[in-house]
Amino acid sequence: MVAQLLSVSALTKSFGAVQALRGVSLDLGKGEIRAICGENGAGKSTLVKLLMGLYAPDSGTVSIDGAAVRIEGPQHAHRLGLALVAQELSLAPHLSVLDNIWLGSEDVPLFHRRGDLRRRAAEALEKLDAGFDLDEPVSRLKVGQRQLVEIARLLTRDSRILILDEPTATLSDVEIARLFSVLRSLRAEGRSVIYITHRLGEVFEICDSVTVLRNGEHISTNPVSAITRDALIGDMLGRSFAEIYPPKRPAEHEGVLTVDGLHIPGTVERLSFTAPRGKITALAGQIGSGATEVARAIAGLVHDATGTLSLGGRPVPLGSAHASRRAGIMFVSEDRAVDGLFHRNVLENLVASDVGRYTQSGLLSFPRMRAGAEKRAELVGVDKSRLAANAFDLSGGNQQKVLFGRVSGASEPGVLVMNEPTRGVDIGARADIYALMRDFCRQGYALLMTSSDLEEVVGMADIVITLYRGQMIGRYEGAAIDIAAILSDITHPVSPSERAA
Amino acid sequence: MSRQAFALNQLTAVAWLRLLFVAALAAAVALTPGFLSAPSLLTLLTTVSFVGCVAVGMTFITLSGNIMSFSLGATVAACAVTFVTVLNAAGVVAGIVAALAVGGLLSGVQGAIIGGLRANPIIVSIAALALIHGGLNFITGNATVNANPGAGHEILRGKLFGLPVEFLALLILVVVGQVILSRTTFGRHIYFVGSGVRAAEAVGLRVGRVVTGAYVCAGLFSAVAGVLLGLRYNQANMEYGIGYDYDAIAAILVGGTAIQGGHGSAIRTFAGVIFIATIQVLLLLHGFRQEWQYLIAGVIVLLVVMLQTAGRRRV
Repeated sequence: MVAQLLSVSALTKSFGAVQALRGVSLDLGKGEIRAICGENGAGKSTLVKLLMGLYAPDSGTVSIDGAAVRIEGPQHAHRLGLALVAQELSLAPHLSVLDNIWLGSEDVPLFHRRGDLRRRAAEALEKLDAGFDLDEPVSRLKVGQRQLVEIARLLTRDSRILILDEPTATLSDVEIARLFSVLRSLRAEGRSVIYITHRLGEVFEICDSVTVLRNGEHISTNPVSAITRDALIGDMLGRSFAEIYPPKRPAEHEGVLTVDGLHIPGTVERLSFTAPRGKITALAGQIGSGATEVARAIAGLVHDATGTLSLGGRPVPLGSAHASRRAGIMFVSEDRAVDGLFHRNVLENLVASDVGRYTQSGLLSFPRMRAGAEKRAELVGVDKSRLAANAFDLSGGNQQKVLFGRVSGASEPGVLVMNEPTRGVDIGARADIYALMRDFCRQGYALLMTSSDLEEVVGMADIVITLYRGQMIGRYEGAAIDIAAILSDITHPVSPSERAA
Repeated sequence: MSRQAFALNQLTAVAWLRLLFVAALAAAVALTPGFLSAPSLLTLLTTVSFVGCVAVGMTFITLSGNIMSFSLGATVAACAVTFVTVLNAAGVVAGIVAALAVGGLLSGVQGAIIGGLRANPIIVSIAALALIHGGLNFITGNATVNANPGAGHEILRGKLFGLPVEFLALLILVVVGQVILSRTTFGRHIYFVGSGVRAAEAVGLRVGRVVTGAYVCAGLFSAVAGVLLGLRYNQANMEYGIGYDYDAIAAILVGGTAIQGGHGSAIRTFAGVIFIATIQVLLLLHGFRQEWQYLIAGVIVLLVVMLQTAGRRRV
């Protein structure tokens, strides 16, 4: 048996009624790169936070070099040799690379010899073959280079176990190749890596072994040589579809939403597709695929988007939310706190998009506003006694219903664009929201949704369009919608040219 | 659940403190000889009116999420000078119209820059302050413009129903402001933009227009202050309106309008104006010297504002 550097056994963690981790165990050898895969909510980030001492486990142990440890917090984790490169990098953009490398280090006393720090930082950068200067301000570096700064920071602290959380989500191909060569050289030095990713291709390319988590449980651990891609996908999905999805009854209606040659600088190039009325069209893709940006662009919220957009043959100018709204395109945001809800009561939130409708002899009429809000609250199942409550005091599910309520009751059906329609919504309210979405379909709305939850995509969509880094990979309709095919498209696609061959 | 209950307790505590504050003020007023006499009350109501108009106007800016403007005082001066100049040339009605046009335009341009280009409102208003002041200095040569006797403005002086016209004008502005804010689509849109600019954009509101509108209102209301000053003093110069911006924002905050926008009203601002003025007169009548008046008034304003934010804080 190889010497185990890190050993986790029977780790359990609950948040209220939710069990985020249920007795997860895993062993990490010296010089091993271990992939951890799983869908959203599988428990990956909880595991990372436990290892970094951000949460304390309810039960279970973590041992390093065979000795059980209680990780008190991030600084303690660093001293134990654990280090995290998070999805959101933690760099100070206006400081130099050098300052960022030593930022927060306990090795730097108030009076220190800068020359020594400089030498050690330069060594780390050289090891990474970084190709930029120590005095460069971080704000001038590309994302991939910034990631290298973070890794250099970990090297100077002599971290033995690096945890990378979705490190390639925002990187270009060249940057990914660079990162992989860095990881290989770290492995050669005997350091170990925990590599959290959605991208199955990367698992087989860079990792030695792979652990699958699902619903907070450990499902399998295999050397990558001993598992196939399909088996991995099977392990990740595993569960049968819950009964929360209403039956699909796509309705036939005239008129489609047509997107032609949509271009969003840096994200999407020349994307074309249609979304018919009476059906739910889903854009499936990971972070960086451009799916959410496409949805925002159609809602008029991306100012530099170009291309043509039309609804039932009538052109809709891009880049103006007002124009999209007038054409009947309504938007339900994935980020309710930022561009969803107003810091006002539920009543006003429900009528915010068309408050001008509730007038009497030129002035707004509060009784009419109330009546309009009550009608919408009833439509979407928000308790009418809560109309006076601040919208931010509602549960996630009710907040989402308010957003759906706001776009309901239009004089004629239009388009409903939704990013992550059930993010932060508990399971009961999810079923309600799915039923609402079907209801919109029945009325003749065209629904366009994005979701990182593939089960939801398959459960809800009549048409699925898969995206990988700004390009459309496949289109599936009706019975052809297959979760394995979609997962394969959005993780490691065959390039479109290969497909044609 | 428990957090909500806690917030509720806190809110009632703040409400009690607020009540206590007003009661203490009322007692002080009642126990101060001379306060409730006609002359000092009338002086109070008149002096309060000029800043009051600006404060009600600035409430639009604050509610729209743009904190405050530093250029409304200068706008008052520009409007006062415009009013007196045009009054001499073309009569009182033309004077009022010209002053309103100048006020609406000066402020509206800033609103278009702030709302349309998402420029920082503080910086734009400071730049505007310099430009307005410089322009006014250039045009008037820092001289005082005097109204010609018999220009027709004298009929707008004095009292109506026993109240000074300045105060009546303020009351009208408060009512007009309140109606615009709470009973028109435009007013509701100001609240929406102020309580979530990105959400407002996402539901298709034209944020640039709403913000521009709010600044136009602020300019028009400040122009009224300029006209009132010109009427009262029969003249106008660049020194008018200096310090009004600070007094106005103090009144807005004391009234309980949120500095981050989206919550508050014209009536609240009116209450704030009266509150601060009352304290100032009280201090004056009790023989505090000017510097003590400023100090004590400042401390009280600070306390009240702290009380307001304590009642509203959310985590």
